[in-house]
Amino acid sequence: MLCNECGKNEATVHLTHIINGKKSENHLCEECAKKNQQMFNSTFTIENVFSEMLNNAFNKSGYTPTKGCTTCGMTYDQFRKIGKFGCPDCIETFKTKLMPVVKSIQGYDVHVGKIPKRAGGNYKLKKDIEKLKDELKLMVEQEEYEKAAELRDKIRNLEKGI
Amino acid sequence: MDKEHEIVVTSRIRLARNLKNYKFPVKMTGEESNEIIDAVNNAIKDKDLNFKLTYMRDLTDVEKFVFIEKHFISPALSENKNNGAFLLSADDKISIMINEEDHIRIQTLGYGMCLNECWEQATKVDDMLEEHLDYAFDKELGYIASCPTNIGTGMRASVMLHLPALSMTNQMDRILFGISQLGIAVRGVYGEGTKSMGHLFQISNQGTLGATEETLIEKISQIVMQIVQKEQITREQFRKNNFDDIEDQIHRAYGILTNARSICSDEAMKLLSYVKLGKEMGIMSKVDNKNLYGLMVEVQPNNILSNANEQLNLKERDKIRAEIIRNKLLG
Ligand SMILES: [Zn+2]
Ligand SMILES: [Zn+2]
Repeated sequence: MLCNECGKNEATVHLTHIINGKKSENHLCEECAKKNQQMFNSTFTIENVFSEMLNNAFNKSGYTPTKGCTTCGMTYDQFRKIGKFGCPDCIETFKTKLMPVVKSIQGYDVHVGKIPKRAGGNYKLKKDIEKLKDELKLMVEQEEYEKAAELRDKIRNLEKGI
Repeated sequence: MDKEHEIVVTSRIRLARNLKNYKFPVKMTGEESNEIIDAVNNAIKDKDLNFKLTYMRDLTDVEKFVFIEKHFISPALSENKNNGAFLLSADDKISIMINEEDHIRIQTLGYGMCLNECWEQATKVDDMLEEHLDYAFDKELGYIASCPTNIGTGMRASVMLHLPALSMTNQMDRILFGISQLGIAVRGVYGEGTKSMGHLFQISNQGTLGATEETLIEKISQIVMQIVQKEQITREQFRKNNFDDIEDQIHRAYGILTNARSICSDEAMKLLSYVKLGKEMGIMSKVDNKNLYGLMVEVQPNNILSNANEQLNLKERDKIRAEIIRNKLLG
């Protein structure tokens, strides 16, 4: 078998990639495998899939916005090509087109994990209060009135902070 | 050490964090990148974790690769020659990469299955930094990362597994296929795909949205437990059905490693993997007190280069590798 890359040398390195459950094989010669190794090592398959899907999403709809990110100057075309933001504000600019792609890969488009104390601001407090209210409901259902009263006080205290 | 810790070699948590009001490393100027390095360093320097700051520009290529081989830094950081830096804790267990793909990447490392401990440590360091730094955070989308596939928790939890029995019986393809369906990525630690050198594999989450850090860690842990079980079952089958063959193969591996005068890293990794299997199956008591995973890291090409005083060609490197292995195993 000849090398997939150069088509000249005998393929001695056989690589298997699994992307979205699909298996693909790549047969390379020693030389091309070495050349590609750096690239293989530094790329996650999810990123490859992502940039391809991003390209499609920005292409097929005939969507040609004139302005890119005003903070860092990243244009749609650049973003489509490199698949990375130029600054934290880019996300606002590219959100509408981007998030459906992210959702189709991850299955979700909402963050439910850690909320930083300062950057999260009131939002963390609100989440904490929501959590306590759920607990309160449970305690009332279980007729644990003493614990429920404690929780109610806690919630009132937190609500003062908003 | 119980059995499971030997199959689960290391656990690792990585958190991607970025600062508001700064462009990402792709668009950043040298001046801005220095400001970020100083800000991160100042935020952490008074803590009792004794971090040491190292600039990429102060390292030789070989030195960089040694840090990569030890998993303290990523290849991407080493490529940011001018503006990259990292902080490493005195116990080597926490590294904070600065100006990699993201402004900040907190990474915690531990031996055996310890994702929960690594997460606790990482989130603590994260809190310390946030006290002094303004993070880019969106309440819908979570932590903003330079790569859209990392926004949300910005967390990657990974576990390194040593799976010689599953590899030798060609079961890895099927397992890799199965777990790739579950949003989990697998790759060889040294080398690529199912041809991993030394039968070492890294398993990590791909998703960063729609689940809490704890849920993601729990998911990985459960999958790891299942793979560990499969590896253990296959080792038991070796013992029952192919004991003579396996015993022979392991002792031959030891024989070559303790006698060879020249050995390439591919062969060394494979044979060390057999000997590690033998130790864990209780048929290689000679190496009971040896750290075989440590030796696998030690014989990586750049690690050997960095400890040599002169330029080495491939042949000389293979000679030195054989010598290191003999000394370690027989010493
Ligand atoms: Zn080729
Ligand atoms: Zn921008």
